[in-house]
Amino acid sequence: MTGLGTIGPCGHGREALAAALAVGKPAVAEVDRGAGLHREGGARTAALVGERDLSRFIAPAAARRMSFPSKLAVAAARMALAEAGIGATEAGGPRVGVYLSTTFGSGQFTELLLRQVLLEGAEAAQPFYFSECVANAPAAQLAIAVGARGPNVMLTQRESGPLLAVGRAAQAVREGRVDRALAGAVEEVTPLLHALLDRFGALARPEGARPEMPRPFDRRRDGFLAGEGATILVLEREDAARARGAPALARIGWSGAAFDSTADVSDWGDGHVPLAAALRAGLGEVPGGVAGIGAVVSGASGARRGDRIEARVLRAAWDGAALPPLLVPKAVTGEYGGGILAPGLLALEGARFGPTPGFVEPDPEIDVTPHRGAALRAPARVLLTGLASGGGAAWLVLERTS
Amino acid sequence: MPGADPETGTARTVVVTGLGAVSPLGWSLESLWEGLRAGLTAVGPFDRFDHSGHRTHIAAQVDLASEPRRARRRWKARRVSNADRFAVAAARAAVARSAIDPGGCRERTGVYFGSSTGGMFESETYLETLLAAAGGRGRPPAASLLASQQNNGPGDAVARDLGISGPAQTVSAACASGAMAIGDAILAVRRGEVDVAIAGGSDSLCRLTYAGFNALRSVDERPCRPFRRDRAGLSLGEGAAALVLEPLERAMARGARPLVLAAGEAATCDAHHMTSPHPEGRGAAEAIRGALADARLDPLEIDFVNAHGTGTPLNDAAECAALVAVFGDRTTDLPVTSTKSLVGHLLGSAGALEAVATILCLLHGEVHPMPDDGMSDPGIPLRLVLGRPLRLARARHALSTSLAFGGANAALVFTRHGDHDAAR
Repeated sequence: MTGLGTIGPCGHGREALAAALAVGKPAVAEVDRGAGLHREGGARTAALVGERDLSRFIAPAAARRMSFPSKLAVAAARMALAEAGIGATEAGGPRVGVYLSTTFGSGQFTELLLRQVLLEGAEAAQPFYFSECVANAPAAQLAIAVGARGPNVMLTQRESGPLLAVGRAAQAVREGRVDRALAGAVEEVTPLLHALLDRFGALARPEGARPEMPRPFDRRRDGFLAGEGATILVLEREDAARARGAPALARIGWSGAAFDSTADVSDWGDGHVPLAAALRAGLGEVPGGVAGIGAVVSGASGARRGDRIEARVLRAAWDGAALPPLLVPKAVTGEYGGGILAPGLLALEGARFGPTPGFVEPDPEIDVTPHRGAALRAPARVLLTGLASGGGAAWLVLERTS
Repeated sequence: MPGADPETGTARTVVVTGLGAVSPLGWSLESLWEGLRAGLTAVGPFDRFDHSGHRTHIAAQVDLASEPRRARRRWKARRVSNADRFAVAAARAAVARSAIDPGGCRERTGVYFGSSTGGMFESETYLETLLAAAGGRGRPPAASLLASQQNNGPGDAVARDLGISGPAQTVSAACASGAMAIGDAILAVRRGEVDVAIAGGSDSLCRLTYAGFNALRSVDERPCRPFRRDRAGLSLGEGAAALVLEPLERAMARGARPLVLAAGEAATCDAHHMTSPHPEGRGAAEAIRGALADARLDPLEIDFVNAHGTGTPLNDAAECAALVAVFGDRTTDLPVTSTKSLVGHLLGSAGALEAVATILCLLHGEVHPMPDDGMSDPGIPLRLVLGRPLRLARARHALSTSLAFGGANAALVFTRHGDHDAAR
């Protein structure tokens, strides 16, 4: 991994994200509830991108043809390429692949198109909305922007998608199928999506007059904080990076995936045993096994059942041994794919993580305590976890390079 | 080496041991083949939703009432979308045909599916009710009505139904989703990541895509006529297809008869335009060359092509250019068919259903025809299979192509079992 680009609720770039993680406070904003789609007493906030001016990365003429997720993906990719020391003229080509993940794609354009179709009549539909509301639009726009002519992959596997995408990109690089991959995640939160997630009972709920708070692993947790943003990584072969004098930020040590078939369509299941077996077997390929993992950057988000199975999988995979520090960045960034990827790299680099927002009281049912803000030594390896509602599961190990 | 057996260090040959499909031609593989062979299009009037305000009024829809009764009972009171139902039925059929026992190797079985809209059709109904309620008409819908709405719904439904605990992933690369998912599955089996892969795609008709393609003026008012001079757009369809993939050695060891070899795969991107293909078919040609290289085949060895062939003027021209670029002078003699001419464009499932159709053609030794109801295009120098099946009893290697919105391309190569050169 030679480059990181991240744009999210905490701001543009790794420094802004690192500063927010160090404080350990959710980056929230009020969601527009004026359309009357939200339920009474429901969630009011989300982790939204505040700095929406991306003209530093995308010319206005090109941006005009893109949805917000496409702009985010292109902007984050250009940020990542810049960090990797790859100029615009050498960024693309037939040996460059794009591997992204999204859960909802362009929510805004999908909603606009559906409103036209459902409320205004079929012929009101605008073609531009349609071409940008396909899930793979951000990956395609990114490929067009940098000229990436290798595989163009958009994975949609909810919370496990980002780690699947990076794992798949790493495999493609490792096997020589591409020379370089741009991999990551992109997500957009719209008022409608926020209302739907809230109606579904997925979001944390306000506590009286106080806005909602995601409380990962806490006894009182009742849902997650919706989030948006994009994180793109540049992956290439370590020897190729060295040959061009680029410093390697991290190495992809292992990636794996599994599925919990006990999960309901939109919830997490109880099948932690096979998931833990898959994780433990995978970590067996990592030097030192579970003992070689210096920190877990957990995909826990405050979801009642999601955090429970996450804790149980980790407990079972570690088989009685003490868990390493458990960092939970989605409590700060909100629930989106980049909410796990960029903090994973920052953790490996020894960034400071503040106390886990909202965590006060351990849940006796799961007996896991997330990070409380103490200083950490930079670990040699971090495990990133992504357990998805619906059953998907993916993991990634990042390790320091020499 | 890439694609090596972790124990022996040699490349694992991947075979297809099971097929299943739900299509506008019916809920079984037999009805699909019968319909393909007949060469009569299933595109016609449809009633899934109100399309009276649109410019076009045809599609190829799956007859939901024909779903086997036992399956319908299973779904009662469950939150599943039409796309989920199609996917599970196709996967169950494929698994039954392969005679594998997913329960016996659940942690070594993966699901690789493609979908472009998942449960969008059901989500539209939910949203319509919610918007009406917000406007003071009626009550908000129950959240439970929001069926498995996301694109991962069909693949997850298959994984859940089969009880697998290996990897599950959904590719959403528009019209190339199904083919890319199969490509992923080939790689996963080849590299030993899983022992069995259930791969395919599923999509259902919905108002969003119907309106979107109409807005783009990409839909023909008549059933689509791929590669014909009077072609005027695509026809939308729906359905699912699934393949069971496993290493050749594993299939032979358990006494299964491999249907075909999943010999090659490749994916590329035009990086050119969101809705228009590269005019010279650059990305598509690179995908075809990549799949041929992956299969270690020379273009001369391909016996027929199941083309993406949507029926849109630009897409067919670009795909033809790609075929000419790869096959050169031989293009005029290389049989080409388009399954979309008979079942419509299944979007995220198209590549999967066309892979199944390609395999059926190899197994039966004949290439299914396209309806002979258009005019030949002098700008398309392809040997189209029209009107009646083309007997190709000795066909060994076939190519299936998928070209998508956003410029994503995928190509798959299948080889008849027994015609594989083990020394390659």
